[in-house]
Amino acid sequence: MRSVDIIGVGITNFGKHIETSLVELGGRVAIEAIKDAGIKPSQINAGFFANMQAANIFTDFTVGQNVFWQAGINSVPVFNIENACTSGSSAFNLAWMGVASGMYDIAIVVGAEKLVVPNLGLMQAGSTELDTLEGLVVPNAFAMRANLHMATYGTTKEQLAMVAVKNRRHAGLNPLAQFRSPITVEEVLNAPMIADPLTRLSCCPNADGAAAVVLCASDYSRQYTSRSVNVAASVLVTGSYENPCNMAQWDADRRASSIAYERAGLGPQDLDVVECHDAFTISEIVHYEGIGLCPEGEGGRLLESGATSLGGKIPVNPSGGLLSKGHPVAATAVAQIVEGVRQLRGEAGACQVEGAKVFMAECMGADKAGDIKSCTVNILQN
Amino acid sequence: MNNDLKPVMEGIFEVGPPSRLNGAICPECNKKFFPKPMVCPHCLGEVQNIELSTEGKIYTYSILRTKPPYGLPQPYAVGWVDLEADGLRIFSLLDPDRISDLDFGKRVTLRVGAIGVDNNGQACLRYYFTPKDGGEQ
Ligand SMILES: [Zn+2]
Repeated sequence: MRSVDIIGVGITNFGKHIETSLVELGGRVAIEAIKDAGIKPSQINAGFFANMQAANIFTDFTVGQNVFWQAGINSVPVFNIENACTSGSSAFNLAWMGVASGMYDIAIVVGAEKLVVPNLGLMQAGSTELDTLEGLVVPNAFAMRANLHMATYGTTKEQLAMVAVKNRRHAGLNPLAQFRSPITVEEVLNAPMIADPLTRLSCCPNADGAAAVVLCASDYSRQYTSRSVNVAASVLVTGSYENPCNMAQWDADRRASSIAYERAGLGPQDLDVVECHDAFTISEIVHYEGIGLCPEGEGGRLLESGATSLGGKIPVNPSGGLLSKGHPVAATAVAQIVEGVRQLRGEAGACQVEGAKVFMAECMGADKAGDIKSCTVNILQN
Repeated sequence: MNNDLKPVMEGIFEVGPPSRLNGAICPECNKKFFPKPMVCPHCLGEVQNIELSTEGKIYTYSILRTKPPYGLPQPYAVGWVDLEADGLRIFSLLDPDRISDLDFGKRVTLRVGAIGVDNNGQACLRYYFTPKDGGEQ
């Protein structure tokens, strides 16, 4: 496999884009990323487009070809990819594989989503799945994990709330985040209850948004830019679906990050900055443990120590995370990678982690049999 | 119980008394499943129908306070129940009338009842577990 770099990125703010179509959102970031990379559209050998809900919400499908042609990309292979919250990082993983394998020299990834529509309701898996018919919706799936984590390890409601407080504090420094005013632990705990112990401020809001990256074989990236960032590892795993499943931990995080660390020749102690899938406050705490930032059960205490705040030992979600930015599902995991590129280029503005050299993006998608459907870990390095 | 109602999903349970969940076992791997898979995912061999234990204990649970799907009561609770006799952990609706009695490790019993609606908006039967001590319905 060849070494692969990221040579260009593009991103919209996350929030309401009522007047902008999904195709236009995707087109905008594709154009931005291509210009940032210093290449022409005709130099791109393949396009990977991630979206989850367009078919449900807009009865639209194979959107990628429409997105990419706006940015001058035609004739080459274009793929449309859905993998729940990891749709974007799955598209990235495929693009990386395509370039690393030598099949393509340059590939582009776009993740785009529009979710701010009336009466969207709670997200749930397909109506043919038994768990869904028995009442499983996304918030209670995470609430069950939260309750179990508290009962098993002594994690507190206050520690859960502190995830939202920390990420909102970070979002105050990120002009692209949707919710930027500071919140307190009391405000999080006293917000309307969604699924005990998760209140409205413990759950990420919906958002529209898009993000794009251009990947290039490292042998050629210097021809185009001096600001390239290396992909040290790109890993995707699925759940094991063994029964019984330990729901206080995410084994998939552990498996994906172990593979990624091994391929990159790095360990958790080498990370300078992390973006993880904080769809709910509990998620971020369990991800700390899964990717090895702390021992099993210690996530709540790691957070409370301040280690994962900007200025701490290992800042997590300096962008404000999904809890503050919102979660345009298929854009999310591409946006995490864009955040990482900006951190490693030293272009993250007020969210910058000084001297960041190694970045991890962790993302996870959808429940199955108490396990998950998809988990991605990408490590970027300067 | 209204016997005209259909189960929320065909073939998932037998309506009692006593009501039973339809599981399966792979005789080769000696592994049990719920719901019944097409074949054993470990060896791709045929699986045999079995009735699962009607007794278990709560592994974890949560209470949804916001607007419920499928006409379920507001609030309602769901959880994962350990069927210790079968070595299986299964997802289930929990008794909406006993929400305040739920706890980790709580012993529960299987029931089938008319709760909520199905994908077509028709009232239907769902399986659920109810806490064992007291509160006989
Ligand atoms: Zn078998």
